[in-house]
Amino acid sequence: MADTLAPLHPRRVVLGFQDTEDMIAPDLPTEPIPLNMGPSHPAMHGTVRMVLEVEGERISSADIQIGYLHRCFEKESEAATWTQVFPYTDRLNYISPMLNNVGYAMAVEKLLGVTDKIPERAQFIRVIVGEVSRISDHLTCLGASAMELGAFTVFLYALKAREWLFELLEEVCGARLTSTYLRIGGVSYDLPDGFDGKLRSILDRTRVVMQDIGKLLDRNRIFRDRMDGIGIITQADALAYGITGPVGRSTGLAYDVRKDHPYLVYDRFDFDVPVGSVGDNFDRYAVRVEEINQSMRILDQALTQIPAGPVMINDPRIALPAKTETYNSIEAMIAHFKIIMDGIRVPPGETYSYTEAGNGELGFFIVSDGTGRPWKCRVRPPCFPATAVLGKVLPGLFIADVVPTFGMINMIGGECDR
Amino acid sequence: MADPTTTTTTSAPPAAPAPADTVTVTIDGKAHQFPKGTVLLEACNAVGADVPFFCYHPGLSSPAVCRQCLVDVKGQPKPVPSCYTPVADKMEVQTKSPRALDVRRQMLEFTLVNHPIDCPICDKAGECMLQKHYFDWDAKYARNDGIKVKKDKVVDVGPHIVLDQERCILCTRCIRVCDEVAKKHQLEMADRGDHEVLTTAPGHKLDNPYSLNTVDVCPVGALTSKDFRFSMRAWELTATQSICPGCATGCNIEIHHSRGKIHRLVPRVNPAVNKHWMCDEGRFTYKPVHAGRLAAPFVRGTPVEWDRALDEAGKLLRAALDAGPAKVGVVFNAQSTNEDLYALGRLAFDHLGLTKTYLAGVDQGWSDDILVSADKNPNRAGATAVGAGRLRTLLDLAKDLKAGALTTLLVVGTDGVLAKDAAPGALPLDRLETLVVIGTHRDAVAAAAKVALPLAAWAEADGTFTNKLGMVQRIRAAVPPAGDALAGWEILSHLARKLGATMDFTEARAVFNEAKQKLGFMKNAEWGRHMLPVQLRFASTRG
Repeated sequence: MADTLAPLHPRRVVLGFQDTEDMIAPDLPTEPIPLNMGPSHPAMHGTVRMVLEVEGERISSADIQIGYLHRCFEKESEAATWTQVFPYTDRLNYISPMLNNVGYAMAVEKLLGVTDKIPERAQFIRVIVGEVSRISDHLTCLGASAMELGAFTVFLYALKAREWLFELLEEVCGARLTSTYLRIGGVSYDLPDGFDGKLRSILDRTRVVMQDIGKLLDRNRIFRDRMDGIGIITQADALAYGITGPVGRSTGLAYDVRKDHPYLVYDRFDFDVPVGSVGDNFDRYAVRVEEINQSMRILDQALTQIPAGPVMINDPRIALPAKTETYNSIEAMIAHFKIIMDGIRVPPGETYSYTEAGNGELGFFIVSDGTGRPWKCRVRPPCFPATAVLGKVLPGLFIADVVPTFGMINMIGGECDR
Repeated sequence: MADPTTTTTTSAPPAAPAPADTVTVTIDGKAHQFPKGTVLLEACNAVGADVPFFCYHPGLSSPAVCRQCLVDVKGQPKPVPSCYTPVADKMEVQTKSPRALDVRRQMLEFTLVNHPIDCPICDKAGECMLQKHYFDWDAKYARNDGIKVKKDKVVDVGPHIVLDQERCILCTRCIRVCDEVAKKHQLEMADRGDHEVLTTAPGHKLDNPYSLNTVDVCPVGALTSKDFRFSMRAWELTATQSICPGCATGCNIEIHHSRGKIHRLVPRVNPAVNKHWMCDEGRFTYKPVHAGRLAAPFVRGTPVEWDRALDEAGKLLRAALDAGPAKVGVVFNAQSTNEDLYALGRLAFDHLGLTKTYLAGVDQGWSDDILVSADKNPNRAGATAVGAGRLRTLLDLAKDLKAGALTTLLVVGTDGVLAKDAAPGALPLDRLETLVVIGTHRDAVAAAAKVALPLAAWAEADGTFTNKLGMVQRIRAAVPPAGDALAGWEILSHLARKLGATMDFTEARAVFNEAKQKLGFMKNAEWGRHMLPVQLRFASTRG
């Protein structure tokens, strides 16, 4: 467990609400009433509906209803070629699309059996754009959650830094969100000139932003009161529900796919996996803050180590030929045509491939029947189990506690509902 | 041509032939039994050891000119063309040996050296065998950037076909189709080496009645159909299996359509009827489906809702029947499906007990001893069987009309009702008090009707046709009916209820099942399994 996670001041002893209620209104009888939170509620980002049963201000049961952002990602993939699925993956966790691209590309490459043949530079680029996305993912989560607790300044600071990162990604792939940057076999094109210097400068400025956010929040009484000891997820629950990522690590589970099952070139970097101790909202906040720092560490090392070379696999059956070849030789023209129209032919079989996305283990279970389209493309969305546990965590809390608890779960509709 | 792979599979040897007539061949290390005389290529493909080919075609002779099907046979100094080699006992064949793969790759490379970079503008792209074989068996970038040999790109070789000599890979399939199917020698190879070209034989045009089969068998886009050319990309098409309505032969076809529009008809393999082929005339039978259609019910020339039109038709017919059924006639049509005919038969004979019934059909035409029948109706056999001797000719109808024996007529299917064969001089329809028409087109018969009801065309309805051999063959709806048109049996069910008959068919299959019970000629007919349309982009068997 990282040192930075030690409480900055002793945690306040929160009064049991039974006591509070007894003090305020000892004689008033309460009657359970149902309360709909969402699907259109300012704090229900991503469109989710919670049917709460409240007794006074206290929640007695919570029914979490997802599916409002279901877009048939998995079914739709079956009608697209393997390459055409990339734009759909952008829209899974839409605040870190690059990480979804990485997860999907690696799944198809695993089934193709070409994981070892991806050029090293492409692997480094994947790590770099992935970690940039992870930082923007965590910044969004922190900023939005702080804003919902009244800290609007934090939101503006976080989004300012996210904007720098999005602009950088836009330079890389031409889009802020709908990146579709990766390809099966590599990435669509190399990093732009001056990328190294720009990213380093952005990271320096982001560090300052993180310090500012820390100063605004870490000792902030209002913030701490609503985070400390609220929404505790036990380690046993995290394991039982299959929760991974920052939410899982906040309970003390030191599981990070990048560390435990290294992929791409993650085994070459020195970084730590921060974990929490209590599993409350503040732990989840602190884990995310520290993960931003660790991602910046990885980025520093990756920028130093990245080699020169091609960014796409050298295989005419997988990589699109260069345009000059396509226009000037029948062989490349046919290869281009076949890859675009029929799709890359993935040998029959099935595989499960998993990577560490912003919210935890993002898994793709894909089945091929040997044609150019997925026969099945199933996603294991990391925020699905974390959202599921809310039904167990929320009862007993106040209505107001839903806001920071839900915010720190970081449920992303696009990913959870697919 | 639709699917050479399937064809080779269907010609696979029977499961347990007599030992004396079989040979044992080891293909890629596994022993298999084949009847004597089986071609090695067919043997390999039948057991899943795919061997590519250009010039071989299951319906034609094998000249072994493309050298794409070379395989290694133990004891032979060089790889042998498997399309030209019969299987022999104790033969040991390697289809995937490094040498066999390499020579095949080299042959492909030779073929590609002078092939133009036409895929984006080529009609065959997406169902091209050269594209398929390159991606499956070669997939290496060009090693040669020499200037390609220039040949003629737009040669008008016949009324239906344009030839692009640059795209031709010299497989000679088209020459053999003309020679062996149409029995006409109209195409030839000229010149030598990389200047060799396909051309028409001196003094000839590619104008035989089976010329469009050359387009189907062409493995690349050298021969293209003028009708289909540049109208639609092949991979956008969806294929629905059906039967050609052009004549009594009943060639098995695939309807290729996209977004409710038919773009071409191609033959589907049926060894008992049309083998791999169909005639040029049959290819154009889809044209009327999209032209001049009756798209809404009409009452006295005004388009109305179905309800009103059916009410009106019911009232008119009821009044005529009440006045005297002897003066009410019904015209059947040899273009209708068995299902429509059965429904009409049930209404006219069983329920209304009418005696003045007639059979219409389009004029006789030319015929040959290959595929084309003189009877241009797809279902005269079915209509005759449903009528069971009760249907009289249109000549009789003309006589009855002139004699004033009819006041009211119900016509189901207007094709050929005014045909020259049947009624020299016009059929005097104006003698009628009431004409009710169920028809596909806005023709003279529909125009003369008091009530005209729109009928789905053959490509828009499910059903069966009976060909001249008595085979009951299934047609499938490929495109949605024009406008408000409905299938014949459905219209007749509605109309029957207006006339007090109980006919409650909900689908064509229900009519088929009942007809199968009642009609002897349909006793052994099969409706066939439910078949989803196949999008050619993902059919994977084409090209």
